[in-house]
Amino acid sequence: MSVSPVNHLSQGIFEGYDTGGFYDEMFSSPGHPRPPYAKVFQKLASMAPVHFEARRRLADISFLIQGITFTVYSDGRGTERLFPFDLIPRILARSEWERINRGLSQRVVALNHFLQDIYGEQSILKDGRIPRSLVYSCPHFRREVIGVNVPHGIHTHICGIDLVRDSKTGEFCVLEDNVRTPSGVSYVLENRLVMKRTFPDAFQAAEVLPVNHYPSELSRILRSLSPRGTDDAQIVLLTPGIYNSAYFEHSFLAQQMGIELVEGRDLIVDGGTVYMKTIRGLKRVDVIYRRVDDEFLDPLAFRADSILGVPGLMGAYRAGNVALANAVGNGVADDKAIYAYVPEFIRYYLGEEPVLRTVETYICAKRADLSYTLEHLPELVVKAVGESGGYGMLIGPDADSATIERFRERIQANPRNYIAQPVVALSRVPSYDANEGRVGGRHVDLRPYCLYDGKDVTIVPGGLTRVALQRGSLVVNSSQGGGSKDTWVLRGED
Amino acid sequence: MLSRIAESLFWLARYIERAEGTARILDVNYHMLLEESQASYRLRWEPLIIMAGEEDRFRKRYSEVNAENVFEFLAFREDNPSSIVQCISKARENARTIRDRISREMWEDINGFYHMATGFDAREEIAAGPHRFCDRTKFGSQRFHGVTDATLPHDEGWQFLRVGWALERAEMTARLVDVQYHNLLDEFGLAGAADNHQWMAVLRSVGAYEAYHRTYHPPIEPERVAEMLILNPQHPHSIRFNAAEVQAGLRAVSGTGMGAYANEAERLAGKMVDRLSYDRISEIFSQGLHGYLTDLVGMCGAIGDDIARTYFYYAVVA
Repeated sequence: MSVSPVNHLSQGIFEGYDTGGFYDEMFSSPGHPRPPYAKVFQKLASMAPVHFEARRRLADISFLIQGITFTVYSDGRGTERLFPFDLIPRILARSEWERINRGLSQRVVALNHFLQDIYGEQSILKDGRIPRSLVYSCPHFRREVIGVNVPHGIHTHICGIDLVRDSKTGEFCVLEDNVRTPSGVSYVLENRLVMKRTFPDAFQAAEVLPVNHYPSELSRILRSLSPRGTDDAQIVLLTPGIYNSAYFEHSFLAQQMGIELVEGRDLIVDGGTVYMKTIRGLKRVDVIYRRVDDEFLDPLAFRADSILGVPGLMGAYRAGNVALANAVGNGVADDKAIYAYVPEFIRYYLGEEPVLRTVETYICAKRADLSYTLEHLPELVVKAVGESGGYGMLIGPDADSATIERFRERIQANPRNYIAQPVVALSRVPSYDANEGRVGGRHVDLRPYCLYDGKDVTIVPGGLTRVALQRGSLVVNSSQGGGSKDTWVLRGED
Repeated sequence: MLSRIAESLFWLARYIERAEGTARILDVNYHMLLEESQASYRLRWEPLIIMAGEEDRFRKRYSEVNAENVFEFLAFREDNPSSIVQCISKARENARTIRDRISREMWEDINGFYHMATGFDAREEIAAGPHRFCDRTKFGSQRFHGVTDATLPHDEGWQFLRVGWALERAEMTARLVDVQYHNLLDEFGLAGAADNHQWMAVLRSVGAYEAYHRTYHPPIEPERVAEMLILNPQHPHSIRFNAAEVQAGLRAVSGTGMGAYANEAERLAGKMVDRLSYDRISEIFSQGLHGYLTDLVGMCGAIGDDIARTYFYYAVVA
């Protein structure tokens, strides 16, 4: 690879970079990279900006040709868009990652305990460690699955827990638990592939831990759930279809695991057993990795107007004839009000102190929290408890007074539906701005993907770093102008 | 294999083949006409619209049948479901619903093909003439064949692709021969093969020009051209060749041996192969070419219907 000579004093694409008073993950001060970033900085800074730009274009073309897109619906047609990929990696030191890994594993196990308990004995309610009313008023609490025995007692097979690094302390904390059908892991794997092709030299020099064992690990777990034994288990991935925004990921994972990708119309329930329609007649299905939300799974049990689901599926599930991953009813555990109790779950079920901090949360269902929230709206972030994807959110400091008043009314009308949190100033990582032709600091979060087999939690090192590519923006969601970065956990000691 | 996947593979192949066939005919027709009098224009372009079965749609949209309009209509129009770009889009949409089942190479190839086809500036291409666009389309389709052949296991899914490809091609060739004969014979009569260029163009449109010359002596005779395109056992665009492909693909799926059939599609394919193997071109002409070809097109349709009944559709069970 030829690199054109540049002025020794020049920092290439980093020329004039400003950390802007935020916690910058790459630079401890302007021009001084933190140790994990040292090698990458050296490689990238010694590169002429035009060469960087050329490689960036190659990476974009690669994503386009591979059809790695998501669908947006704002124009009414469902347009495919590229999920913008930023070529500057986000790097975590090994020791930092180890701590995150410990904290997430602990959290996943506690969440699983909670779900097993809440749909079973309900001892945590009997012991008064969380208000019964808060659980029962959760829209995602599914009475239909109380008493259902799930294979090996696993509810949270796959979790995508969102972390942010607080700019004030530099410490990682948990922002939300996604324990229903988290998406994005395909980008982790594809970003890595493209990164290795685009910057093989920088990649190799850094010694990065691999991530590509995710599909085989997931496949192993799914196989273990089969009610008929694992040898001839028929495993399928249930997708809402090509118009779903995460369709690329569904087909990607099905292909990587060598399992069938099915839609609701490919399946049929007969005599409490699930079958798929093949050219040779009906074939029994044992395990469904479903990427369809609870309420659409079975029109007989949940929303009657769902055409994505399979009539009778819940009957087969309750009878133990088919396993679902994730389990039904997990939404109660990632409700944003329940979130405030997860540290309590860790203490209650595991007898341990939480490794990772959570963000202070005011639960509007509680009277004192409600009045505090209403008095401090301009300083707080308000979130609807059941929403995800950055929807239904108020960012107080950025909002005008009309918006704040609108939220005030909504909160007063339905306090259970809202929580409030102080604004977390997200850390930043240098990201390339194609419009400006140079690098600027952009806010990031981190979503590691946790797999739980009933005994151990496996997390592929790193996860998905989402980046708010618009200058000053805090919203990292792909539907709202976010992009992603390859996330590196380095092999070596720091 | 899921029925839905088999169906998508079948249609993926058909759409690709339809795009290629349309491109071939467009390109050849255009080049042939460069050496023609202006007066014969309408006569030459009209058959293409008839072949595509889109006369009504075309007339609603255009007042004149000329090269530019026909090219735009058959290549680019979004409101023409059989335009080349629409066929490629639908092929890609089918591939997208089964991208976990086809090879990564196939997906990237057809996705690139789609971006290429939709990336053309229609106005610029119309001004430049159809050659560049048609050539890219033909090449794109052929490359997809090659990538498929080299990267997809030749399992039952591959057989559905094979059947889709061959069935579409058999039908395209039958329509081509029918329309061109009707048109050319009306004007010149069988004996008046003065219009050698026309028959050359027909042969070229299916890539059979060189093969014809290896098989027959000059001059080019309309009846020999028909024989080549209908009955030749080896040419990959002849109806007979493709009927045999359909039969072989269907048998591979069902595991049926020689002399038997497992479903109506196989019965019809077998019947088609037999007729095309033992009929003589003179017999076909004496009983009427148009009727014969119409019959074959009808059989192709019936085979497609029965494949759907046998492998794709499940009766709704309450």
